[in-house]
Amino acid sequence: MKKNLGSFVVGDSTKCTGCKACEVACFAVHSRQNNPVGKTVGTVTVPVTPKLYLTRFEQGCMPIQCKHCEDAPCLNVCTKGAISRIDNQVIVDPEKCIGCKDCMQACPFGAIALLPYAKDGKLAAQAMGETKVFASKCDLCAGVEGGPACVRVCPHQALRLVDPEAEAEEKKIKAAEALLMTKNWR
Amino acid sequence: MNYFVKGNPDLCIGCRTCMIGCVVAHEGKHIFEVDPDSYTFNPRLHMVKTAKISVPVQCKHCENPACMAACPAGAIQMKDHAVIIDTSKCMGCKSCMDACPFGAIDMVTEAGKFQADGKERVVANKCDLCSGIPGGPACVRVCPTAALTLVKEDELADAMEKKRMEAARNLFRDNQE
Repeated sequence: MKKNLGSFVVGDSTKCTGCKACEVACFAVHSRQNNPVGKTVGTVTVPVTPKLYLTRFEQGCMPIQCKHCEDAPCLNVCTKGAISRIDNQVIVDPEKCIGCKDCMQACPFGAIALLPYAKDGKLAAQAMGETKVFASKCDLCAGVEGGPACVRVCPHQALRLVDPEAEAEEKKIKAAEALLMTKNWR
Repeated sequence: MNYFVKGNPDLCIGCRTCMIGCVVAHEGKHIFEVDPDSYTFNPRLHMVKTAKISVPVQCKHCENPACMAACPAGAIQMKDHAVIIDTSKCMGCKSCMDACPFGAIDMVTEAGKFQADGKERVVANKCDLCSGIPGGPACVRVCPTAALTLVKEDELADAMEKKRMEAARNLFRDNQE
């Protein structure tokens, strides 16, 4: 069995109320790295750019974010090498991203959005003055203390950090115990 | 109905012959000749050993498979009484792994196939009931204690019918008394 798969966060639509606290927390923790964004609304001088996206659908709502695929179509399609795998997670380097949108088209989850790139509290400008954009997607809060901010901030525990290998091990043991209970099935 | 292989924990001695039989059936006998360090052993069923039991766990080939519903690539289909992954369509998103309540799906490297960053492709791997392999599931054939059974529709239906008749006889007896 392949060891060290990428972890990911999944939402639960039965618990999610669509409050977008996850999107705000995501933006806040990531902006602290490059922008002087504090903990209150008044400190925000740049566009709010989350890396997960609250999605409304027929039956309810839930945040949708990157699965950190092991054979990631976004990574494979990126011509600039702006998407790489670091510590098993699929990470976009916004400095390298040229906004070609190939990754958006390759991703089957819609987990990537092109959003304005801000640095040092200002929108980054291109040669002709246009705002630079970048492919914004979940990096599982790489480098953020305490792990994914969306999971920590959700008031309804509607987000779960998945360690796929550890969960599969637990599920296998339960399946084995079920076999013990059904051994006299004939 | 899909078929499935069922392990009996009372008969299983935890020898893992089923896991070896599975890999030999899917990859060939050359695995015995290669350097073990250069080769990744990827069986499609897994031995579970706890203080109480030892038994292999594998895909149940559900009738409404959660893995199939979760796959965004349409890589999981039902075919020949089995739920089968087309690894050429798989992109390793782990949605099926998360969806399966039995832990029956693993992610494994595909030898000799690479991604854009030079890393080997990683795809979902699970029991396919030895689809296309003569003689049926290898795990069933190789088990030295006959602890594994291929369960087909008729056997399950017969067992249910037998149990219903037994239940009816018991109720009839109660009514007579």
